[in-house]
Amino acid sequence: MSRVAAAFVLATFTVPEKISVDPRSMLWLLPLVASIAIVYKATKLPKIRAADFLKEVVVLFGSIVVFMIVTALTLYVLAWLVTE
Amino acid sequence: MAPRSRESHILFLLIVGLVGWLVPGGGHAVLRQKRHAIIIFATILLTFVAGLYIGSVGVINPIGAKPWYLAQIMNSPAVAVLGHLSARGDYAVYGKPGEIGQIYTSIAGLLNLLCIVNAVYLAHLRGVEEVGDSRCRE
Repeated sequence: MSRVAAAFVLATFTVPEKISVDPRSMLWLLPLVASIAIVYKATKLPKIRAADFLKEVVVLFGSIVVFMIVTALTLYVLAWLVTE
Repeated sequence: MAPRSRESHILFLLIVGLVGWLVPGGGHAVLRQKRHAIIIFATILLTFVAGLYIGSVGVINPIGAKPWYLAQIMNSPAVAVLGHLSARGDYAVYGKPGEIGQIYTSIAGLLNLLCIVNAVYLAHLRGVEEVGDSRCRE
């Protein structure tokens, strides 16, 4: 049984997942932003305490996401102005 | 504690960098920063494995995607084994999942590079502090 489970888990790494090309696929950036925020803060904070660390990570995560949204909106408006 | 000689200090920096490359977070573990090491290890490993899960092992392509491979190899030398496996072209990789998998695994590698540089810098600072302490005692 465990061998079947192990084979199943390994098989999932040999075939790509099904991800459609639509605006929802942009949400895949969120886990990546989270890991960037976590690792960056782990290198920056001299001492890690759970509450402080979480707060710092959430602030950085939010800052990156907000900056990306603002950039996307700016580019969207620019593209609209150029094409209209 | 007696300060290290210049040669042993450089050797120590090399060891910290090498251990950080062998195992993500290893450099911080050598510097006895356990919490930093655990967080870095878990996050980089999860990001890398998520990339492989989304895009398949085929996203590690040392022949057709060399610039991405350079970033991916920064995760660990173990990535070279996966690269050797996928170089035969047995694993499918295509479209959006392939792109996302490539980005995840490459960003994980670049994050580990950041951690290696950070660990080496911290190790260097400690060496400088040791020298400063010994001079103060003199």
